[in-house]
Amino acid sequence: MVSTVWQNPVLLIVVPLGLAFFTPIIGLIRKELVKYIPILGMLFNLTLSLFLLPKVLDNPIIVSLSGWKPPFAINLFVGPVGILFSILISLVGLLTAIYGINYIKKGAVEKYHMLFLLLLTGATGIVLTGDIFNLFVFFEILCISSYALVAYNQDKNGIEAATKYLIQGSLGSAFILLGIGFLYGLFGTLNMADIARNITTVDSPALFIAMALFITGFGVEAAIFPLNAWLPDAHSSAPSTISAILSGIAIHIGIYAIFRVLYTLFGFNSIFTVLAVIGIVTLLIGEMSAFRQENIKRVLAYSSMGQMGLIIFALSIGTVDGISGGLFQIITHTLSKSLLFLCVGYMVYSTNSMELSSLNGLGKRMPLISLLFTIGVFSLIGLPPFIGFPSKLSIILAGLKTGETLFLILIVLMLLATVIEGVYFFRIIQILYFKEPDKEERFKTPFTLLFPVIILGLLIVAIGIYPGLLQEILDRSAEIFWDKLSYIKIVFGG
Amino acid sequence: MDFLYHNIHFIGAFGLMFIGLYMIAVKKNLIKKIIGLGFVETGINLFLIIIGYIKNGTAPIFSKAGLDPARMVDPVPQALVLTAIVINVAILALALGLAIRLYGHYKTLNVEKIRGLKW
Amino acid sequence: MTLQLILLIGFCGAIITYFAGKILPVLREIFAVAISLLLVGMIVYAYGRYSQEIAQFGFLNFKIVFTLNRLSWLFAIIISSLSALSIIFSLSYMKGKERQDFFYMMMLFVSTSMLGIVFSGTFLQLFIFWEIMSWSTFLLISYSKGKAVKAGLKYITMSIIGSMAMLVAVISLYLKFGTLEISVISQNIDIASLRYLSCIFGLLFLGFGVKAAVVPLHTWLPDAHSEAPSPFSAILSGILIKMGIYGFILMMYMVVGIKIFMTLGVGWMKFHYVFAWLGVISILIPSFIAILQNDAKRLLAWSSVGQIGYIIVGISMGTGLGFLGGTFHIFSHAVFKGLLFLTIASVEYRTRTRDLDQLGGLIKKMPITFLGGLIGVMGLIGIPLTNGFISKWLIYKSLFESNRMFLLLFSLIGTWAAILYGYKILHNVFLGQLPEKYRNMKREPVFMQIPIIILSLTVILSGIFPGIILKLINNIAFSFGLESLNVNMWGVVSETGTLNIRNIFFGILAAIALVSIIFYSAKRSWKVSQDDNYAAGAFVPVEKYNYTVEFYAPLYKMIRKYLKDVIDIFYCWIAGLVDALCNGIRKIYTGDIGTYVGYILFFLAFLIIIYLRG
Repeated sequence: MVSTVWQNPVLLIVVPLGLAFFTPIIGLIRKELVKYIPILGMLFNLTLSLFLLPKVLDNPIIVSLSGWKPPFAINLFVGPVGILFSILISLVGLLTAIYGINYIKKGAVEKYHMLFLLLLTGATGIVLTGDIFNLFVFFEILCISSYALVAYNQDKNGIEAATKYLIQGSLGSAFILLGIGFLYGLFGTLNMADIARNITTVDSPALFIAMALFITGFGVEAAIFPLNAWLPDAHSSAPSTISAILSGIAIHIGIYAIFRVLYTLFGFNSIFTVLAVIGIVTLLIGEMSAFRQENIKRVLAYSSMGQMGLIIFALSIGTVDGISGGLFQIITHTLSKSLLFLCVGYMVYSTNSMELSSLNGLGKRMPLISLLFTIGVFSLIGLPPFIGFPSKLSIILAGLKTGETLFLILIVLMLLATVIEGVYFFRIIQILYFKEPDKEERFKTPFTLLFPVIILGLLIVAIGIYPGLLQEILDRSAEIFWDKLSYIKIVFGG
Repeated sequence: MDFLYHNIHFIGAFGLMFIGLYMIAVKKNLIKKIIGLGFVETGINLFLIIIGYIKNGTAPIFSKAGLDPARMVDPVPQALVLTAIVINVAILALALGLAIRLYGHYKTLNVEKIRGLKW
Repeated sequence: MTLQLILLIGFCGAIITYFAGKILPVLREIFAVAISLLLVGMIVYAYGRYSQEIAQFGFLNFKIVFTLNRLSWLFAIIISSLSALSIIFSLSYMKGKERQDFFYMMMLFVSTSMLGIVFSGTFLQLFIFWEIMSWSTFLLISYSKGKAVKAGLKYITMSIIGSMAMLVAVISLYLKFGTLEISVISQNIDIASLRYLSCIFGLLFLGFGVKAAVVPLHTWLPDAHSEAPSPFSAILSGILIKMGIYGFILMMYMVVGIKIFMTLGVGWMKFHYVFAWLGVISILIPSFIAILQNDAKRLLAWSSVGQIGYIIVGISMGTGLGFLGGTFHIFSHAVFKGLLFLTIASVEYRTRTRDLDQLGGLIKKMPITFLGGLIGVMGLIGIPLTNGFISKWLIYKSLFESNRMFLLLFSLIGTWAAILYGYKILHNVFLGQLPEKYRNMKREPVFMQIPIIILSLTVILSGIFPGIILKLINNIAFSFGLESLNVNMWGVVSETGTLNIRNIFFGILAAIALVSIIFYSAKRSWKVSQDDNYAAGAFVPVEKYNYTVEFYAPLYKMIRKYLKDVIDIFYCWIAGLVDALCNGIRKIYTGDIGTYVGYILFFLAFLIIIYLRG
């Protein structure tokens, strides 16, 4: 299946992992070189993922490590969903790394870049692996590096947020490990396809408990209400590049993990209804909590929480349309929220304050950044012609298509949440543009900070105007993501 | 009594977990919370080992002739536990490191007082 | 290709204008005017070339269709010409203000998105352009900062609520009909049950009604219209609120068809009744509230709510005459309200205030503005030989013919109120004594004169020759299956003598001649200096008593206590409630890690309990 060594999807994990370990060594030789390593790694990942995308759309690639056939060896399942996520991860990773060149200057720079790469490796590993324990290991890599990165600034808030995040996060991971234990006890295997194949043979409360453990465990990372208390703290206290990665990637990975486990391993349909309701509750709570925040990064963090709720709702609709809409929303949120955090990072860096009032009149002082911030906000609210509109549209369409009253009610609630979201975001826009600035002097933005933000802004507008770019990929991904039988069939080859 | 005898290891494992959960949820001292985390993880490791354990089993290595594969202890959970221990070490080390830093900022380890970030 | 080209030119032109301004301010102004005129030209060119264009690219799985029919052409020409005039007006008005690049870009953006709405052949596009219109309007309303910020927030809040309702309706239509193409849906409208259509109407009423500012949804309008930059207020009042009406006409006449619409409703509460009564309430109460206003633009804003009421009453009659009157009023209101806003803007530009208590006597200082104001108010009141007369006459006539006497009565009372506030604004700004501080005021700049003159001429010309537009509207009505009326250059002909401007024209001409004969043959009056009899000749104070304050004092006393905007107060109360709720809800994140761990354990227990209970 894999024609040359350079096209092997394993490299998506191996290259950044290797580079991460080389980072401190290179740091010993020349410190300035360190910051270019993540760019290198992510550039490679992006290229390879984009190259693999058309191939996996037809046939997902199975990579068995160490030569054994599944279920005896750890295998990678390189499907369209995985590659889609991998593209997102490497794209946002690349842009954030470029942003970081000038942004991360103080502190242990080489450790930052090492952890940054590790985080992205963990994320990529999760979306590509086909083995439940392997997933857990990558998940831990992701989590531990994000705990450390949240505390990177070493200020009071950063440390506190990291500690709280760590305790909740590792409790979640413990639950996952326990769940894996249950599954192994029941099936004697860790290969997801193998478990999926045998899942119907077992009817035991342990199975359900395992699922509950998985949902809770991954749910902490995915910011399901009420497991999401760490999120506003961590996202608002981390350096903005890390906030962008956490909001743009890490929490989506949590969602991916939940739904990979639910779609592929367990087939309980009733849980999706529960999750849909929980999703909408998360959405409402997140948006409502953001409503009165005075700290710009906390507003964005709570808004992330809300968006997670929306994505969970979309993925729990339980139809291919819904999943396609959910994946679309993930892309929307990744692009928009990383854009917003990167913009805000620069605003906070310049004004030295996270209070909303310190943003007064920034539209005049940093016009381009403010414009891009506005684009990101409009996209999140779901206004055309930005990417948020088609994704929200497809979610509502999928929800109403089911024709169930419950979903109708949930969608009405979701629209209410959108109204709340709109109001607080529009208020921020007004603060940016229609309040008198304290000072007149303009900020000069370095190109490395500007470039990633502009790219994200362009993507948001381009996909918003012509969503057909993604339509086919999303539909195909949703089909494969949803279809358990074909997953098993593909892994075992026929 | 018989039940207790056959399931004592499970009770032990889950008992450790519950002690740990109790500590994390209720104890005010951050260090105690972290110790609780250690308890939970140890309990889970124990649980994993138990799953693969066979009474009077042998090591899963064909070290000498005549070993019955059916009586071998499942090696996979042990591999899992090794990995999990490594992960736990990392988490605990990081947690303790953060706790020290936090103490430096707040001059206390009482989590009820460490509430700079809320709402 | 033409329609897509128009929209493309509009949107790209807006962006080009912005960047042109970064290079050279004059370039920006040339671009803005050129593009807006180009749009007018292209739409004039498109007259009669009614067509459907299917776009090359789709949106998700939806088809994109652009259509031009008579109705959309009528709206398009109003939109493009009024925005062109406003932009020309802004050349003077905006001089010296900050962020002009942004202003001109957004002006073009708003007008182009409105063009997009009327060119939409599918509901999806309608929604997309609707939203683009909403946010670009929002950015312009708050432009002046200060109070405008709050007004903008109010506008966008109501606007989002409306568009969310609309989104649900649109998607529901898609699921019902399998397409969003307006023409296809209108052909297959029979497959939908009346109940379903009623629900859709309810949702769309929220969506369109917020923009149209029908009474329970009007509260954003007085704030937004008065706080927006004045040339943009003209667009807001002149055309933006008509987009809601466009939506109503589209749904009532084109998609559902008027025959089905007249049967829609819940029980005995037929929609068209509700609609007509909402229209009448919109006429009645806001017109009286307008009398109370002392801010000239706020007065005009409330008057807009009232005038929208006439349109709604007209189109909800479901008769050819009512449609004719309502649609003609869309045109006339756009013209005279645009004219009035521009007039006030030019007064504001010179005097830096629009407080009716402080102005006065500007007739000599700005004669052209006065003439514009006079003609605008005449149109507003509906004095014969202005276009306001035509539309109001037709609406009254249709009410009379449909035997809706109460509606007729209340509309007439509304007109009475319009006379009062119309006179108030005219008098308090232009007549009376000139305050000392405006003694050395300059005349209005030429770029302000041009739009005012053009609009004034339009009011008069379309008042004397209403047939030009009536014919077009009659054709629209005919295509909707309403009875075709016999329209000629001078009005509408029928056995009962529906409308004949020729007779009125000559009648008035005769009256004017008579009056002038009497006037000139009588003894000549002599001019008295204003100061001669002031203070009985004792002394001449420099600061004079401004008797325009509390203009209709006895009337105010009578009506003021009844005329609180109860609905606005109610909405604000709800907003406060939501605010408090939101503030309460975030308290669950206590900051205590023990609580958070409790949440996690609780969630796990919750999932397991759900399983155990089935």
